[in-house]
Amino acid sequence: MNKYLCPYCSTKFEAFEDLKAHALAEHTGEPAPLPEGMIRLTLNGDEYQIQVQPEWTLNYLIHDKLGLTSPKMFCDRGACGSCTVIMNGRSILSCMTLAIECDGNIVETAEGIADAGHPLVEAYVKHHCMQCGYCTPGFITTAKALLDKNPDPEEEEIREALGGNLCRCGTYPQHPKAILEAAEILAQGKGGK
Amino acid sequence: MHSPEKKKALELLDNLRFDKYPLPEDRQKYIGKRDVRRLDGIEKASGLADYTMDVQVPGMLFMRFLTSPYPHAEIKGMDTTKAEALPGVRAVLRYDDPEVQLEEDLGGHGVSPRFPVPRVAHFQGEEVGVAIAADTEDIAEEALELVQVDWEQRPFVLDPHEALKPGAPLANPDDFPDGNLEEEFESGRGDVEKGFGESDVVLEFKSKRLQHTYISPERPCGVWRWNGEYPEVWLKQQRPHIVKRAVSSWFGGIPMNRIQLHILYQGASFGGWSQFGWNLAGHYCAAILARRTLRAVKWTFTRREDFYGGSMDEGVHQYKVGAKKDGTILAVKGETVYANPMWGGQGPTLHLEECTTIPHIYGKRSLALVNKGPNTAVRCEQLPNCHTLTLVFDHVAAELGLDPIEVALKNDGVHGHDMAWAKKEKKEMGFPETDSLRECIKKGKASIEWDKKHHQPGTKRLPNGRLHGLGFTWNHEWEDSAGSGEIAMRLERNDGTLNILGMRCDNGVNAETAYCQIAADEIGMKIEDVFYRPQVDPGFFTMTPDSSTNMSVNGFAVRHAARMLKEKVLDAVTSDRAVTQRGSYPPFFPDMTPDDLDIKDSVIYAKKDPSKKLTFAELVGPSGDEGPMAFYELYGTERTPFSEPLFTHSYHVQVGAYKGGIRPRFIRQAHFMEIEVCPDTGEITIVKVVNVNDVGKAINPMACEGQMYGGTYMGVGRAMWEEVVHDPVTGVMLNGNLLDYKIATIEDCGPIDTIVMESRLGFGPYGLTGIGEDVSTMIPALMGPAVYNAIGVWIDDYPITPERVLKALGKI
Repeated sequence: MNKYLCPYCSTKFEAFEDLKAHALAEHTGEPAPLPEGMIRLTLNGDEYQIQVQPEWTLNYLIHDKLGLTSPKMFCDRGACGSCTVIMNGRSILSCMTLAIECDGNIVETAEGIADAGHPLVEAYVKHHCMQCGYCTPGFITTAKALLDKNPDPEEEEIREALGGNLCRCGTYPQHPKAILEAAEILAQGKGGK
Repeated sequence: MHSPEKKKALELLDNLRFDKYPLPEDRQKYIGKRDVRRLDGIEKASGLADYTMDVQVPGMLFMRFLTSPYPHAEIKGMDTTKAEALPGVRAVLRYDDPEVQLEEDLGGHGVSPRFPVPRVAHFQGEEVGVAIAADTEDIAEEALELVQVDWEQRPFVLDPHEALKPGAPLANPDDFPDGNLEEEFESGRGDVEKGFGESDVVLEFKSKRLQHTYISPERPCGVWRWNGEYPEVWLKQQRPHIVKRAVSSWFGGIPMNRIQLHILYQGASFGGWSQFGWNLAGHYCAAILARRTLRAVKWTFTRREDFYGGSMDEGVHQYKVGAKKDGTILAVKGETVYANPMWGGQGPTLHLEECTTIPHIYGKRSLALVNKGPNTAVRCEQLPNCHTLTLVFDHVAAELGLDPIEVALKNDGVHGHDMAWAKKEKKEMGFPETDSLRECIKKGKASIEWDKKHHQPGTKRLPNGRLHGLGFTWNHEWEDSAGSGEIAMRLERNDGTLNILGMRCDNGVNAETAYCQIAADEIGMKIEDVFYRPQVDPGFFTMTPDSSTNMSVNGFAVRHAARMLKEKVLDAVTSDRAVTQRGSYPPFFPDMTPDDLDIKDSVIYAKKDPSKKLTFAELVGPSGDEGPMAFYELYGTERTPFSEPLFTHSYHVQVGAYKGGIRPRFIRQAHFMEIEVCPDTGEITIVKVVNVNDVGKAINPMACEGQMYGGTYMGVGRAMWEEVVHDPVTGVMLNGNLLDYKIATIEDCGPIDTIVMESRLGFGPYGLTGIGEDVSTMIPALMGPAVYNAIGVWIDDYPITPERVLKALGKI
């Protein structure tokens, strides 16, 4: 009655012995399959294997469960950019992303960008790109993703890239200055640890 | 010890003249410099800065309030059985719980006792009826949906004008059974009717400002934990001293010295939430539920709930203005009905009274109760006054066909006196004689190219088909008004670094770095040797960002403490140290007096022979196994020098300038805006903004500029889109989120030229005045004259949306 399910490929078997034979023949050497709800995530270069609930957002996982508090909840619904993280090279809104869908993904947060010695961080300090600072990590991640893709952006491209990041303190004019400066440092090959 | 510096500090309390003892310019190594590193920079840029919303305490529960679906309704009964049965729900606190039957001090400008869990809702979305603590926020939310409430809906009113009409529904019959007029205030001078009679032109116009609000990036929240009998509290609040006052009054009294408070970095509230009379109720309820569950409790608001109330300028203004043909304004009558302003409201004509020569002014404000959230100071309470000043001046200029700049200069004054009087007064009070407004205008005009670009209203169409407009407004600076604060300082053992002690909320204005700049220069220390972590509660509370005052109060307090510390250090190094029963240690600088010494770059040295020197580390000595002051007498023969603990404490009190006009305001700001208006869509594009702020003296110029461009962006949002919309039929708020309530993004404003003027005309230390509130308060009304100049038609209702532009152009 097909009562045994292969944990690797979901093929069904009537007898346990058949499953065992199948597994040995087809899946020897493969890493052990993940239990349901378990995801693997590379976060700021570290490997994580975590059990998540289906309703958890990536923001809840990173901020509340893993304790990396840089992705901030500001608007609650993908309208402000404060929870931005970089996933597989793209800036995404962690409040609008389900953690369970992130298996195998590579995620970067502001903490990781700072830890890697990215020149954006120092440029942000120098140009006072923060006031209350609550939205700042969202700008840092958005800016880093921009520079990864476009190492020599025009000011207009920077404004466009940051168009989805809200800052109630109005620090906006400083960000292009800092990002252009960081781009220049990177171009000279000076960034990073 | 006898302290001449303390005497001087006392002399400067409630300063009513130019700073009597400024630091010579050649000793200002960090004050006024652009390259001083922000103390909070790395923490904030790397995402490591902790906010209350980030706090997690082991075992913590999450608490949420029920909110009212109706704009005015009474709870007649409630069934919480299903909510209590939901797995993960740990405690429920109902409005009829015996522990919430007393009105308590729950924050606000003054003590205004309220019920922690209200039974009657006076606006839709008000937190009422019940608070539920559960294992997660989601469970608490789900439990609230299971609460069954027997509501009795009441009639409601939303419009302040309607609210004052006879027969209007009562907005709050519980507290105001006789009508919706809460209070009326009158102010002014002279005789306006006489003024109108002497005028060449008399004009009347009306202006309406809908409710807009603060938008805190970090939502209201807090954490309460009982450590045995005493509380440990984390709270997003810009006024730590008021929190402690309130908490100490709860539950039969909690001694002030046993309340442990953490006011972490603040996701800004711009006044707003921090000032409402009910803002500590979350804590009050969390405290009860924390005791019942033996767990820490965190309470949070949703984004929608952060739209609790708004800014105090919501209202309808009626103006009548009389002027001579040459632009001399003779009389202004301003009558305003405000919706739900807290603590009496502001305006409408105060600034006209303070900084013009206008002889006849009458201002009346009527406070009307409506069924919307309360309105309070939201960066800032001077909005109604700035609104009035801009509209009055620009309407007069337009009516007479004059340049608004000329009208400003013609009527600029001080409490009814002209600038010749002001010049004489400045001299007597020790100020420079600079004419601040003229200087501001000169710089601003050059930057915006006023003479080249200004034109008759509605006459300039650009090649791109849009209409070009230029706007101007001006005002005095008001941020040296009133307040008090304490600061202490301690030299640390071992390395002699300086710790500034004083609790305040960080609200992003980088004032903390500025305090370090003052302390470093006043003592003669390197800036990197001075530090201030404002979140720690050492028992000293600084002036918070209230009463429009920060630097002029805290700057003085820091300076007093720094000067007293320097005095104490120089006294310590020239006196016998540590007289013990076994003998005494000679002075570090024997046979010298403090006057023979000075301090530079954290080194104390003899003026006549700089090779005789002592570092701060050598002065304080190391700590060791004998305690914090090592002396090595016990086993060894070495006698390590040590000094007495070097600690000072000071304070500043500024009684205020709003009351009775006791401090004439000499210092000004001017703002210019260049726009383009699309006549087909009504869309407004901001091409350029010029802010000229005379701050008297800039301690941290980059922080000043931050308040200028930052305030501009906030002002732009207020001018163009920001309004809280309520459905007139149901009274329900329709746009309590950031998709439908739009604030400005990086793409919504062109270049902003920030020009910092330094006239030394402020009443703060070094002649400074503050700047944090000015620009966001000035910019909103500036859009009106700019749009008028573009389209030739006045739009006096705000925000100036494309729809209003098209209506003004007769297109819809």
